[in-house]
Amino acid sequence: MSPSPVDAMNHTSPTLSRRAFAAGSGFAIGTLALRSLLAEESAGSTGDAPRPHHPPTARSVIVLFMAGGPSQVDTFDPKPELAKLAGKDVPESIARNVPKIKRAGLKNLMASHWDFHPRGECGMPISTLLPETAKFADDLCVIRSMTHRNPVHGPGECVALTGTGAGDRPSVGAWSVYGLGSASQELPSFIAMNLMTAGMQYPQAAGWGPGFLPSRFQGTVVEPARGIHDVDMPDGVGNARRLRELAVIQQLNRHFLESVEQHSELEARIRSYEMAFRMQTAAPELFNVGQESQQTQRMYGLDADQTKTVGRACLLARRMVERGVRFIQIRVGGWDAHGNIKGNHTNMAGRTDRPIAALIADLKQRGLLDSTLLVWGGEFGRTPTMEGRAKGRDHSPAAYSVWLAGGGVRGGQIIGQTDPIGYTVTERPVKPVELHATMLHALGIDSDRLVYDHHGLLETPVGVTGGQPVLEAFA
Amino acid sequence: MTPVLCAAATIVLLLSQGLVAAPGLGNSPWKRNGLATQRFEIQGTEGRNNPLRRKLDEPYAGDELFVRYYLNYDAGTIDLPNEDEGEFLVLWLDIGEGSDASTHSQHVPNIGIHVKGNQNRFMIRYVSRGEAYGPPLVGDRDILVVGRLSKTVPGRDQPFDRLELWIDPEPQDHPEPVASVSSRRAPHVVEWIGFSTGAKTEVDDRIQVWDIDVAATWEELFGLPPAPEPESLEPLPEEQRTVTFADDVYPILKARCFDCHSGEDATEGVRLDVLDEVVNQTAPRDAAGSRLFQLVSEEEMPPDGPALSDHELQILRAWIDEGLHWDEQLLPTPVPQTDHWAFQPIRRPDIPTVANAGWIRTPVDAFIARKHEEQGLVPAPAADAQTLHRRLSLDLLGLPPDRAEADVPFETLIDRFLTRPEYGERWGRHWLDVARWAESNGHQHNLLRPHAWRYRDWVIDAFTSDKPYDQFVREQLAGDALEPYSDENLVATGFLSAARYSGNELDKDIQRNDILVDVVNTTARALLGLTVECAQCHTHKFDPISIRDYYRFQAFFTKGQPVNVVLSGEGEAARELVEERWRIFDTVHDRLVVAKRRQGVPDPIYIVPATVIRGMKPAEKKRFEELDRAIAGFDQTWAWYSPMTASGDVAVAPHEMRWPLPRRPSVLERLRTTILIRGDVKSRGPEVSPGWPAVFGPMPGEPDNPRLTLANWMTDPANPLVARVWVNRIWQWHFGHGLVETSGDFGTQGTPPTHPELLDFLASELIDSGWSTRHIHRLILNSATYRQSSTFSTANDAIDPGNQLLWRWTPRRLEAEAIRDSILAVSGQLDARRGGPSDEGASSRRSIYLRQRRGNLPHQQMLFDGANGIASCTQRRVSTTALQPLWLLNSRFIQDAAEALAKRVETVDEAFQLAVAREPTRDERAALHDLAGEFGMVSACLAILNSSEFLYIP
Repeated sequence: MSPSPVDAMNHTSPTLSRRAFAAGSGFAIGTLALRSLLAEESAGSTGDAPRPHHPPTARSVIVLFMAGGPSQVDTFDPKPELAKLAGKDVPESIARNVPKIKRAGLKNLMASHWDFHPRGECGMPISTLLPETAKFADDLCVIRSMTHRNPVHGPGECVALTGTGAGDRPSVGAWSVYGLGSASQELPSFIAMNLMTAGMQYPQAAGWGPGFLPSRFQGTVVEPARGIHDVDMPDGVGNARRLRELAVIQQLNRHFLESVEQHSELEARIRSYEMAFRMQTAAPELFNVGQESQQTQRMYGLDADQTKTVGRACLLARRMVERGVRFIQIRVGGWDAHGNIKGNHTNMAGRTDRPIAALIADLKQRGLLDSTLLVWGGEFGRTPTMEGRAKGRDHSPAAYSVWLAGGGVRGGQIIGQTDPIGYTVTERPVKPVELHATMLHALGIDSDRLVYDHHGLLETPVGVTGGQPVLEAFA
Repeated sequence: MTPVLCAAATIVLLLSQGLVAAPGLGNSPWKRNGLATQRFEIQGTEGRNNPLRRKLDEPYAGDELFVRYYLNYDAGTIDLPNEDEGEFLVLWLDIGEGSDASTHSQHVPNIGIHVKGNQNRFMIRYVSRGEAYGPPLVGDRDILVVGRLSKTVPGRDQPFDRLELWIDPEPQDHPEPVASVSSRRAPHVVEWIGFSTGAKTEVDDRIQVWDIDVAATWEELFGLPPAPEPESLEPLPEEQRTVTFADDVYPILKARCFDCHSGEDATEGVRLDVLDEVVNQTAPRDAAGSRLFQLVSEEEMPPDGPALSDHELQILRAWIDEGLHWDEQLLPTPVPQTDHWAFQPIRRPDIPTVANAGWIRTPVDAFIARKHEEQGLVPAPAADAQTLHRRLSLDLLGLPPDRAEADVPFETLIDRFLTRPEYGERWGRHWLDVARWAESNGHQHNLLRPHAWRYRDWVIDAFTSDKPYDQFVREQLAGDALEPYSDENLVATGFLSAARYSGNELDKDIQRNDILVDVVNTTARALLGLTVECAQCHTHKFDPISIRDYYRFQAFFTKGQPVNVVLSGEGEAARELVEERWRIFDTVHDRLVVAKRRQGVPDPIYIVPATVIRGMKPAEKKRFEELDRAIAGFDQTWAWYSPMTASGDVAVAPHEMRWPLPRRPSVLERLRTTILIRGDVKSRGPEVSPGWPAVFGPMPGEPDNPRLTLANWMTDPANPLVARVWVNRIWQWHFGHGLVETSGDFGTQGTPPTHPELLDFLASELIDSGWSTRHIHRLILNSATYRQSSTFSTANDAIDPGNQLLWRWTPRRLEAEAIRDSILAVSGQLDARRGGPSDEGASSRRSIYLRQRRGNLPHQQMLFDGANGIASCTQRRVSTTALQPLWLLNSRFIQDAAEALAKRVETVDEAFQLAVAREPTRDERAALHDLAGEFGMVSACLAILNSSEFLYIP
């Protein structure tokens, strides 16, 4: 078998192939000429669009990152035993397996405040905390056996999105666009939106960072209300003037390139202005959710204070998917229910449940769910015990739940199992890097073969400890 | 009162107080720490007496026993030896009680007062005339007497052969004892303690003792948080072992494992014929938890042939549980051998003779020309003077050229530029990349380090003044330990303290290890050009760096940590305020710890500073806040603090975070370095002492001053890496890529040098010039190689398409900082003020002065591939994205710059000339002129500032 194109492009400093510098293919006034230019942009300066390792089941990924750590036993992992053991200590048979970490309280088990009912045709139990999401039980593949060892928000978030707690590795989104490049001619291929960031769980830049990959693979942070940095032209500058300016800039830049010859970076620079101009047009259009029908806006909850923040981001995510954005990450802070889990989770579910369900429904009705992988979950779960006397739950990375939907995932199934109180994994442990491998798998990427030469060390998305995608999710 | 009565009364009291035997001494109901206590008054009989004594609940034979009591001696009753015969009173610890009038045998530890010359002094002894003395006795004062009885050979049956004394110690400081004695004929168990008087103790002496207590540890004796006690992982002593390595274990390993798992080509890289590798496959003293044992007991190994027999498994289990005894004679740890080029000595090569001799300007060219000639390459013609001026200015200063210097000869410009502070600002930034420097803790809370800028300024000054590179390295690794102390040297340790530090990590071991890992990886990458990260978990698969090497390297740094230090210029008064601040803090902290412990909270108990402050009494808090305000105004620096080896007695100012590392010297002093099995902080392997990787030869013994020893080894001319790595970096920063392309990896996975002899030539020149960076600059900048134009050649390109052999100049994009600085400079907005605290928000100073908050670096800096301050950045990448033009076209910054430039000039020619130091061509002029005509000069200026030529080093 000949080497995959993905393998072929994975070198730190590729000797960049010469791009024919065809006279006449340069910038000309008017967007028609712009569109005639070179095809793939941000994948690399080579312009050779990388191809996947195997047929993908998803074109885009949307990560719905619930920062702070939603409680598994109050959402997707029902534990009736907790009601019986409420107030008691964690049974010795389980306590023995709880990792010896400072936060792992072993006293005073607490029952869930919510009931679980079988939902959908599959009968998957989902708590009454998330009634809207529950309507899509048949689309969800819940993994109840996520596990890692870092109980602190910052590093935990890095583990969840980069694989290790140090914050120095590429995010899963960066790996995705490194592997596949963009499908968009006019928007960044990886966009991150950070919502509700007040409070203690600060967004960890590593979560959308490039790590050791070149920085063009990092997520572009946008504010749902404002859009992309510097995308708006200054007051008083219109398209006519901008196009004339661009024409002169391109003339200067072509002249410089000609004087130097053979300089792929300078060629890429010329193309970047074309892309920037397209983005300048496309981005405001992307963020103009007023184009959506009233019904759609209502569906996402844009009409209610409680849901409008997350709703707008979810709606934008769908619009980004439509425009070929490869990887979209929505981070919703606030799930850190130390004090009063009932109040906290009721509030957080109230803000997120309806918009997220709307996103599933909307993608579905537009026929996009099949090619869009949704991933929901936090950096860890929470203890089945009560924290202090406060009726809260502490951090617990030993076992927690996430769900996948769309993008080739078989819905209505549950993967993995936890002990009778939901504290530890008893079956099919899944590490965060394996969740990443699963996302990459859906995109057609084999994590073991997506290689980056980092100071002589051939790095892969699963790192030195390795990990396999959860293939049964697709079965 | 008669002595007999006194003794009887006190015995009753003591019994009722129930002194409990260590190590169960923690339940002692004796009141401590200034709470109401029973005082016992002792008088003498002018004969031997045993007035106060108590049996421990059970005999104590542990390895350490601490004892304390307070003493107050009525001054009016003290006789001096020259007037009478002086005084005597001791506390003894013994197996037996003795009787009221009896004494204790020789060889019983005594802690008390005895005559020395003309003074009554505190004293400890086992035998008469074997005394050791502390300070003189002062009357009418409450004096805390503390003794430590210990066994130099641990074990129940071993003697308490060492006795040490403290008088009025500050418990939290863990001071050194004032006296110590030893005796081989000492009791091995203690069951009774009591006080003895003697012939010198008169009936009218008034001696009070109280608050008598014993404990198994210093911390327990004073109610301090317990010291983390690493369990011993050493193999059991021979007589306790049930299996021997040579006879029992080795035959099994040899017969069943070594076929695959021995030697350098071991399967999966798992070697079982080297102790460190075996350690890495086991859990300390825990066979059941050991991967090695699990694999054989679950019959996964060996893969072929029968499973291990129960007897064999039993032997392996016992061997691991008993601490992995090893026979170095039988299976010695291999001494690493390597023929990798970078580890061989630097050899000054002969300068090659080449055909193209007329091209040669400095010896550098001879090496380059030889490769050209070998490969059939023809160097590009020299660039014109305009281009060279601009190239040199951007390369050395990071700013566009000054037109006023247009006619200055190139050689003169080189000398001029190399001494300008602008050069220090640009090249200092290169080093800050390598040093992963930033101004916040990183990680979740990412607290600001407001004093970290001093290191940035130190680096700038070091470049501007051409500080010799060996000194540059030495000060950064060990500036705090260099004699004599100087603030400047201390500031240099900002290199180490730039490590990230998680303020939200509860686990002190993880928190500290994260910092040490950062320091080790950065130091190895920056100075040795080695990537040692892999060896954190397993012996490096490619380079001769073992896991033991990794942790020995870590041991150089273990006993230090990052802190704010008050600079000496603030004087003694400042130090006193700082000390008072910590006294209040520590007192309240310890009070809260004791209270929590009483509530049954298990150790270790950690209390966040915010809680300590909330727990202060109003008076304490008022004073504390006053002090904090005063301290905040002191000049400080973010330094590496290692009290054991510091040359100055520095004052550590607060840098509060949620969970700071303990800063007390005693805590740091007790830290040990162990191999961490597979990198896991919770799986400690054998202890190691400081050392460089074994491949570089043996350490000359345990160093007194580990980091200074490391720095001296690094800067020894015999070190094969440090000089090579440094000249290669200089080369890279001039040409865009190094002679060794992987400038941060000189190991076997890195690329070999394109010009190995040139690399050694430059390294030799560096060392022989007294480690002058400026000298290396001159060799390079004056070369014909550097002066080439960027003229392309199809013929050359066919031979060397990447221009690895430097047959032309490859224009390269300016770094993020130089882009912004150049824009500010040509638009006349650059604020030239240097140094001092970083700017946050709007600023027109050079980019090196912008606040470097990790994870939140200036937008433009990240947009153009700036260093992230997390890991050592040895080479900037060049990304080209559409977001860059957006910033260059639409940002407020560029609008201001275009407007300012437009105001500065009359014509587009002038603007063009300012930006790229040449006349525009006719077409360029026409296009810009039209633009200016239609939309104004601002529009033309914007186009110029967006031109590739402006943003590239030509």
